[in-house]
Amino acid sequence: MALTTVDHSALKVNQTGIVATVLVAFVGSYFYRPLLVLIPLLAVVLLLGTFAPQLALFKQIYFKVLKPRGIVKPRPVQDRPEPHNFAQGLGGVFLVISSVFLLPVPVVGLALALLVAVLAFVNLAFGYCLGCQIYYQLGKRGLIRA
Amino acid sequence: MNTQLWALAVAGTVVLAAAGLEAYRSARARRLAAGSTSSPAAEPYILYFTGENCTVCRTHQEPALAKLGSVRVDKVDAVAERELAERFHVYTLPTTVVMTAEGRALHVNYGYAPANKLDRQLAEARGGLTLEQTATA
Repeated sequence: MALTTVDHSALKVNQTGIVATVLVAFVGSYFYRPLLVLIPLLAVVLLLGTFAPQLALFKQIYFKVLKPRGIVKPRPVQDRPEPHNFAQGLGGVFLVISSVFLLPVPVVGLALALLVAVLAFVNLAFGYCLGCQIYYQLGKRGLIRA
Repeated sequence: MNTQLWALAVAGTVVLAAAGLEAYRSARARRLAAGSTSSPAAEPYILYFTGENCTVCRTHQEPALAKLGSVRVDKVDAVAERELAERFHVYTLPTTVVMTAEGRALHVNYGYAPANKLDRQLAEARGGLTLEQTATA
């Protein structure tokens, strides 16, 4: 499959959005419990963005607001978008599971959401993308067309 | 706050357990891969396992390899060359293997390896000076 250009600034903005949303939900829910609704909302945003990039909220904020105003500089890299989309979708799935647990077992729900935020932060800060590694492993085993 | 603290403790435990498992897996793979052989060459060289999906390879590892100058780097597609990747227990990309001139794996780095680390490992493979020391000698 041919490489295309992926703007890594859009990915970074997406990861920042994930970390910030989970942190607001985590800390904010102590003071105002309904803020937990941010977690299922984030799951919806991530899953929608995986299947329809034009609906990826944080990336659209980058492309429509941050980039045109020069707030965040673009960083195009020769890359493939599929592993990043896969990682985002995986994050979305984990947040769906987290959302299911939020009401009956909030500790598990919040812990899962925190793990998604930690992985997004690791990707943001160190460039290590666990979802991309899983994508490679699945491709190696012929489970997906990598 | 109890719920939040417990959630933090659960997430922290999972992260620590995952880090521990990763360290164990990496050490085990390194032990199994060390001493594996490939083709001999005139000078120590690097086997560089990469793939189309590996972003870190392009953004970090390739610039680091370029800093090594004239060192021979054999680029291997880990998905296409599965047998070779299995021989070196490649479970993550990028993976770099520093080979001696005799074709024996001396160091295996799973994940991004910076240029100075590779330079030190190559110097060990040469049994001599690093590129920096060679330049100033």
